[in-house]
Order: sequence, then structure tokens, then C-alpha cells
Amino acid sequence: MDIMLFAPELTMVATGLAVLLIGLFLPVNSKKVLGYLASLGILAALYLTVTSLGTNSLAFYDTVSVDALSQFFKIVFLVVALLFSIAAIKYTEGSAHVEEFYVLAIFATIGMMFVASANDLMVLFVAFELASLSTYALAGFEKKNPQSLEAAMKYFLIGSLSGALMLFGITFLYGVTGTTSIPGIAAGGAALAASPIGLFAVVLLIAGMGFKIALVPFHMWAPDTYQGAPSIVSSLLAAGSKKMGIVAAFKVFIVALIALKVEWQIAFAVLAVVTMTLGNVAALSQTSVKRMLAYSSLAQAGYITMAFVVLTPMALGGGILYALSHGFMKAGAFIATAAVVYMVLSENKDTQNPDHIDNFKGLGQRMPVTALSMTIFVFALAGIPLTAGYMSKFVLFSSTIQAGFAWLAVIAIINSAISLFYYAKIVKYMYFLPGEGSKISEPLPYTIALAVAVIGVLAIGFWPEPFIYWAMEAGKVLLAGGI
Amino acid sequence: MLLSLIVLIPLIFAVLTLLTKTREQARAVALVATVTVLLLTVYTYFNFDSTTAETQFEELYSWVPSLGISYHLGIDGISLPLILLNAIVMPLLILFTWNDDRKAPNRFYSLILITQGAVLGVFCALDFFLFYVFWELTLIPLFFMVSIWGGPKKHYASIKFFIYTHVASLVMLLGIFGLYFAAWDMTGTPSLDIPYLLSQYQFIGSGIAKDLIFVALLFGFIVKLPVFPFHSWLPDAYTEAPTAGSVLFVLLKIGGYGIFKIMLPMLPFTASPNLMITILGVLGAVSILYGAFLALAQKDLKRMVAYSSLSHMGYVTLGAAGLVSLSVSGAMFQQFSHGLIMSIMFMSCGVINKATGTRIINELGGLAQRMPKLAVIMVLAFMASLGLPGLTGFIAEFSVLAGSFVNLQGYVVIALTAIVITAAYHLWALQRAMFGVYKEKLGNVVDINGYQTLAMGVIAILILYFGLNPSPVLDMMLTNSEHIIGLMAGMGV
Repeated sequence: MDIMLFAPELTMVATGLAVLLIGLFLPVNSKKVLGYLASLGILAALYLTVTSLGTNSLAFYDTVSVDALSQFFKIVFLVVALLFSIAAIKYTEGSAHVEEFYVLAIFATIGMMFVASANDLMVLFVAFELASLSTYALAGFEKKNPQSLEAAMKYFLIGSLSGALMLFGITFLYGVTGTTSIPGIAAGGAALAASPIGLFAVVLLIAGMGFKIALVPFHMWAPDTYQGAPSIVSSLLAAGSKKMGIVAAFKVFIVALIALKVEWQIAFAVLAVVTMTLGNVAALSQTSVKRMLAYSSLAQAGYITMAFVVLTPMALGGGILYALSHGFMKAGAFIATAAVVYMVLSENKDTQNPDHIDNFKGLGQRMPVTALSMTIFVFALAGIPLTAGYMSKFVLFSSTIQAGFAWLAVIAIINSAISLFYYAKIVKYMYFLPGEGSKISEPLPYTIALAVAVIGVLAIGFWPEPFIYWAMEAGKVLLAGGI
Repeated sequence: MLLSLIVLIPLIFAVLTLLTKTREQARAVALVATVTVLLLTVYTYFNFDSTTAETQFEELYSWVPSLGISYHLGIDGISLPLILLNAIVMPLLILFTWNDDRKAPNRFYSLILITQGAVLGVFCALDFFLFYVFWELTLIPLFFMVSIWGGPKKHYASIKFFIYTHVASLVMLLGIFGLYFAAWDMTGTPSLDIPYLLSQYQFIGSGIAKDLIFVALLFGFIVKLPVFPFHSWLPDAYTEAPTAGSVLFVLLKIGGYGIFKIMLPMLPFTASPNLMITILGVLGAVSILYGAFLALAQKDLKRMVAYSSLSHMGYVTLGAAGLVSLSVSGAMFQQFSHGLIMSIMFMSCGVINKATGTRIINELGGLAQRMPKLAVIMVLAFMASLGLPGLTGFIAEFSVLAGSFVNLQGYVVIALTAIVITAAYHLWALQRAMFGVYKEKLGNVVDINGYQTLAMGVIAILILYFGLNPSPVLDMMLTNSEHIIGLMAGMGV
């Protein structure tokens, strides 16, 4: 076994421990260094992951795998972590708990990375919980802010419940097939399909992962948590943690439970339609931008779920590409919101609802870089051509038609048209309504994070070839394992 | 390279315009951009071979090979006249608005340039991906144009326009997907290349699939055109838009372009060509008549002009359905001629509204006494619009009616009755608004300024010139029409 297969993870662990240790000895006003350190570590891990694309290997007694799928999702998580950690340099300024903040985020990312690599349900579950526990604490990071605490509490309670459901489902699979290995369960598919327990396990697993992905009707926590948690933590939850649920579901359903395909395909078809529709319709009337983005990320999860229904290499490639694009777009949008919230709070510390859409009025003049980036992110989310969102939708929706699910594509396209309204509303507030107050100098870390995200969104939009190639390769891994 | 420049210069200058601080800078940058495009287009025109229907000035680069997307541009006799129309009117439109005082002039001119780039992009694109990107890009600047600088009902009008045409575009996208995958399944390689997909269309096995693809694409085009019964966004959007916005709408000839470029080559190979011809013919004839009646009933001058536009667009569909080279080239020429005529008509409405504060025809009267320059140009445009021989409108409408009579007698008879009504509403409106006794309560009205005279005058001269000598653009249209009709030979259509 080659330990260097896990060089990105090891780099992350080393970075996390270094941040924690160095943080102990630094005075509060020089803790900024930790942010730079963490960002560099994540960048190094990202580099190592990108260069390892194309490796195919199993490790640790076949419980962990390194392949195109795992590496692609690791890139998604590391990209989100990188944006998060750059933006957090400003957010944590002056706090005494910088090292905890970064360590939690880094360990959450490591958990997500191992979920992407898991080839055994036990590894998957442990890694899932590592990421979840870290993010529970992050959501409640603003200890004196009741909203943040409420968000964390809700997230924790529902998250533990979903973890328990998932574990319960896994035990049933173990009971029937006698193994927790993902290919092993797939091999025992006949026994699962013959037994009613198999169906029961599918229900439990859909519920368990549905909570994490925030599929309707398991979504109740998401808007409250995304709204209440600090904006940049929401970026990690919406852009990172949600994708962990998706990759876990990819592995559990498409690889392990392929024998029960007919059953879960129908379930996912219903969930996809309901989730995207409810997400988009509910987003229309929101006045809190974070809440609007939360509902929009429901809708986006609904689109990605279509990949479970269509199940062709192109659809899975489209879903996986969407996951990456969504990472850039959604993390970017939350970070832009964080910059606005920062601005509002620095003008008046006691502002209620700093993310209210009224605070976006005249942003085009007041914070030109943030406003322009936000415009690019929301247009990308809406699927305007030449952005990452359009490319992903193009691949995903067109594959849906190709596979003969034209009705599903029509619903998705109508949804996409609806979504343009609330996205355009943000743009209208930023550029066409006059704002109060003068121009503000935008904090550099936020600007850098936004610039990175904008480059990502436009790169996938203008030059999608390599991204599509690797997303398709990742999709092939899933289908090769299952069929 | 030439076509890329024509498409990209407006888009690049749009960004530059956005960065300008004052009205003077914004309009100067916009003028430079549009004049550059005009010069490049004129150069293209003189190097264009109008005796062949082949694609010329082609540019082809691979872009996303795994999905079959390429950067493919090229023009033929269908697109070049429309590019020319756009390139000629745009600088004049900038001149027309030269002395207007409005909020945020940099955004205003920037949106005009984005629209120009997007429309020219649609005309040049030979890849469905690129085509769709530009097609959708036309929507955004026009939406903002109406919703920011529009009239009292601007929010309603802009949203209605947006939903209506966006939904239609999405239906069109479904049609594109259908064609793309049908061809992909047959040949095993993905491609979104327009000429390639059009050539593959005939080999699709399932007749229902063929018809669905055809109808989905057609829907996208006729809503944009628009024709009855999908026209209800038109009067609101055209009327509520600022004058420059209305002119941009008029120059948005992408719906008709799609019909000639994409629908007609596919038409003979649909499973039920006669049904499709009937649909086009009925929609065309009804639009001509219905639009004329609606125009007759309008009290608002600008709304009347908007409905007359609907009536004129009916000729485009009727001529396309006529399926002889005379009617098809006439319909193409109608697009060109309509662009010129309606530009002046909407400019006149804008000028009158600004000078008198009203557009209600009955409140106006005797304007010719105070606005003689406007009156001369306006009378010429109205005459062209009602189809007076010697002006462009006559050539277009006569060719359409005469050509369509071969295959579609019944529809032509319906359309002919509309000619009387068309003459009636034009003359009646002109007589009430411009002639007769001057209504003193309109106050001290001043005539159009020098820039406006120049802009409208040049277009008026072009209407006269192309009315007397249409061959500089009509020749290439004829070449392409004959090519399209040639495809149909032996198909039993």
C-alpha cells in the first residue's frame, strides 16, 4: 500500500495540527497568520489532489479507494475549504478562537474527503460523522449570538437523528449481506432484493442522507441553519457538507444498492421534482438573502438528484460537474453575503438581520467588486450561458432528455426559469435601487476569495472540456462498480 | 476573424461604456463602436459573393469536443442583409439619442451595445450552443432597457416580455436537444453544428420526433417574431420601452431569421410538411389581418405602430409558407424593410411624445405646421409602411403576396383585405396627428434637432433608395431562397 495515495489528507491533518499548536502560542492580534497557514495547507492539498487525478487504487484492506470519483469530489471539498479559509481570515479577525475555527473546518474537510474515498460503509459513516460533528460546532461559533446558537442546535439535533437513521440502515444491510464493504453489498444484491429488509434499509438510508443533502421533506433545518449560522460557515455547509451527502448517496445507492435500483429510482424522481420546485418557489418570497440562498441550494440539490434517476454516464458526469460548479457558485454567493454582512455590522453593530435584501441596495456603487461577483454567482446559479451553472445544467438536463426522461427535463427547465426571478431580484437591488451610504473599501480577504470563485465559475463556463472529462470519468467509476 | 470582430467589438465596447463617467463619454464610446461595426460590415458586404448560397467568411474552432460544441461563425445571404440593417441603424440610433438627458447614460449605451453584439452573434452563429447563448443574451439588456427607462407600465411590460420569450426560448432549447440527441444516436458522435444537424434532420427515423423537434424550434422563433396568437407581449414591450428600446426591438430580427435559416431547410423533411405549411400560412394571414384591425382601434400612436409591426410580421411567416423563391425572398426583404421603416416610426413617436407630452392621436393635431422636418420624414415612413410603390414596403409585400398566391390563394385573399385597413389606419392617424388645425394647448412645440434629423433622414433616404433599387440586398436573398426551394424539389411539397 502506498501511503502517498493519501498525501492530500495527510497534508490536511498536518495543517490542522500545526494550526492548533501554533495558535496556542500566538497573541490574539497576530493570529491572522493561522489563516494564511491554513489556506496554504489547503492549497497544497488541492494541488496534490489535482495531480493525483487518474490514479486508481485501493488501500487499508480495500476499505478506502482512490479513483476519479473520490479525487473529483475531494477537489470540490478542497475548493470550498480554500474559499472558506481565505474569507475567514477577515471574519475571525480579532477573535481569540481562530485556531479552533480553522481546525474544525479542516477536520470537517478531512471527513468529507474520506467520505469521497470510502469503500466500506463503516469508513463512510465514521468520516460522515467527523465532518458533521465539526460543522455542528462551527455553526454555533458565534457563542453570544442566539441566532447562531439556535441554528447550531437545530442542525445538531436533526443531524444526529439522520446519522442514527443512516447507521440503522447500514446495520440492516450488514444483517442481510454479512458485510459492510460497498462492493460486497453490491455482490449480495440478490439477497437484498429478495428480502423486505432491503427496501426498509433503502428508506432509512434515503432519509439519513436526505437530511444531509436537504432534500424535501428532510430539509426543514436547512433554511434556519444557513440563515442563523455565520455566513461563511453557511458557505461550507451549503457548498461542502451537502456535496458530502451527495457523494455518500452516490456510493451507497448507485454502487452498493444497484440491485434495488427500481425502488430508489422512483423515490429519487419524486424527491428531485419536489425538492427543486419547493426550493425555487419558497425562494421567491424571501427577504433574507441567506435564506434565499438556502432555498436556492435546495433547488440545486434537486437538480443534482436527477442524476440518480437518469443513471447514464453523461447524467452522472453532469451531476458531478454540477457539484463542483455549485461549490464555486454557492460558496461564492455566501462569501459575498458575508462581505455585505461585515459591512453592515461595521457601520452599525446592532443591526438586526444584516443579510436583509434591503442592505443590498446600491451595492453596485458601494462595493463594486462584491456586487459584480455576486451578480456572476447568481447568474451562474440561474444558468445564464457561459457560466459554470449553465454548463452543468446543459450536460445534466440534456442527458435527461437523451435518456428519455423528457418530462423530468421539462420540469427542471421550468424550475430554472422560475429561479431567474429571485436571482434577478438580487441584481436589481444591487444595481438599480439607490442605496444609502458611501463607497466602502472592501476587505481584501473577501475580495480574494470572491475572485477565486469567480475565476472558477467562468473557467468552467468558458473552457469546460477538462472538467467535463473528469466528471464523466468519475461517473464511470460509479457505473463500473455497480453494473 | 472579421465576423468575430463584428460580434465582439460591441460587447467589448459595452464594458468600456460602462466604465465611463459622463454622458458625453458614454455616447462617444458607443458611437465609435457602432461606426466601427458599420465599417467592418460594409467591408464584408463588398467582399461577399451574392451569387452563391454557400456559407462565407467561415470561422471554425473546436471548443468543447466531448459535447460537440465548436466556435463556428459564418454568414450567407440570409444573415448578411440583417447584419447590414443592424449595423446601419445602430450608429444612427446613437446619434438620435445624442442630446437626450436620461439617468445613468453609461448603462443605457452599454445595454444598447450588448444588444447589438448579441443580435449580430445570433446572425453569425453556426453552432447551436453559440446560437442559443447569443439568443438568450438578447433578452437581458432589453429587459433592463424596458424596466429602467420605460414608460409608466414598465415593470409589467418588462416582466411579461421576459417570461414570454424566455419560456419560448426554453421550448426552443428542448427542440435543439431533441435534434442534437437524435443525430447523436444515429451517428455516434455529438455535434451542435447547425449546418450538420440540419443535414441530419432528414434521417431521423421517427415521424413524431421529427414533428416535435420542428414545432419546438418553430415555437421559439414565432414567439420572438411575433405572430398571432403569441403576440401579446409585443404591444406592451414596444410601447413601454424608451424610444431607443423600441428601435432595438425592431432590429431584433432573430425570430424571422430562425425561420429562414433553420425552419425552412427542415420543412420538406418533416413528417407532415403540409400541416406545417398550413400552420405558418394561417398564422401569417391572421396576423396580417388581426394586427391591422388592432392598429386601427388604437388611440395611442406608439401602440398603433406596435400593432402595425405585428401585421407586418405576418408577411414574414406568410411569405415563408409560400415556398416559392419570390415569396421567400420577399419575406426576407420584408424583415429588412420593416427594420428601416419601423425605426423611423418609433423615433417619430418618441419625438412627438417628448415635444407635446402626449401620444394620444386625438390630442395631437396640426403638428406638421410646427414640426415640418419631422412631418416630411414621417409621411415617407408611413407611406412606406402602408406599401406605396417606390418604397421598400411595397417590394416586400408585393413579392410576398404575388409569390404566395401560387400555393396559398386563400391566405393571400385574407391578407389582401388587410391592405385596405392598413392604408386606412396609417392615413387616418397621419391626418389626425400631423395635419389639420394646430391644437394650441399642445404649447410651444419645437421641431427635431439636427442629430435627430440626420438619423431619421438617412434612414428615410435608404428606404427610398432600396425601394427604387432593391437588388443590393434582394439579389443575395433570391440566391438563398432559390437554394432553399431547390431542397424541396421532389419532396412532393
